[in-house]
Amino acid sequence: MGDKPIWEQIGSSFVQHYYQLFDNDRTQLGAIYIDASCLTWEGQQFQGKAAIVEKLSSLPFQKIQHNITAQDHQPTPDNCILSMVVGQLKADEDLIMGFHQIFLLKNIDDAWAYTSDMFRLALHNFG
Amino acid sequence: MTKSESKNILSGEDPEWEIWEQIGSSFVQHYYQLFDNVRTQLGAVYIDASCLTWEGQQFQGKAAIVEKLFSLPFQKIQHSITAQDHQPTPDSCILSMVVGQLKADEDPIMGFHQIFLLKNINDAWVCTKDLFRLALHNFG
Repeated sequence: MGDKPIWEQIGSSFVQHYYQLFDNDRTQLGAIYIDASCLTWEGQQFQGKAAIVEKLSSLPFQKIQHNITAQDHQPTPDNCILSMVVGQLKADEDLIMGFHQIFLLKNIDDAWAYTSDMFRLALHNFG
Repeated sequence: MTKSESKNILSGEDPEWEIWEQIGSSFVQHYYQLFDNVRTQLGAVYIDASCLTWEGQQFQGKAAIVEKLFSLPFQKIQHSITAQDHQPTPDSCILSMVVGQLKADEDPIMGFHQIFLLKNINDAWVCTKDLFRLALHNFG
């Protein structure tokens, strides 16, 4: 872990933090968004910390557990970090489902925040 | 490319797309068309500052990226997009996420996940970041 590029360390640290919050107390997720943040959740857009937190808090499950299969991180030209996560999740007693999520992490006044967040369940239309 | 041609039929949304959705979806369609039919032409969407992460491996710059994509070990490939999302970024780039399925040669259909960061350079949109993963999970 010590010899990974800095963006991988920061990116993966945030990813771990995000899902820990999400799975245990998603009302706390507001801390990682700002007013300029934009969430696309299953195709719906939510602009700004308040709208994002409202959406995430109102998701219709009691229990949720994310399991990360793979994650990739890249630095961007403007010193952001782009993170891609492929994984599986289980909500309440529903079946395990695959999901895909990406984050754009930006450093603002020495604090990192997610300015972009996009989530999709891996539900394909077969045939 | 007209709005009706580029409309994501799964979105069911108002056809008055934002400009980044138009540009993003146009790029995505173009990318997979090239990839599936003549991936030797893919170099045109990358620049020397581009970076590809393919199944966890990093490739820096147009030449290295093109070499990797050319050398992928299949004759035929077909991508099918299940869903795509686009967002503008703080520095006027476009971030695109694609979830879909692909079939290489006679292999079983597999899910994939890909993201593109698009940047406008001299009036042309190029891909500066490309990240690709097959949706292969370790069950249990």
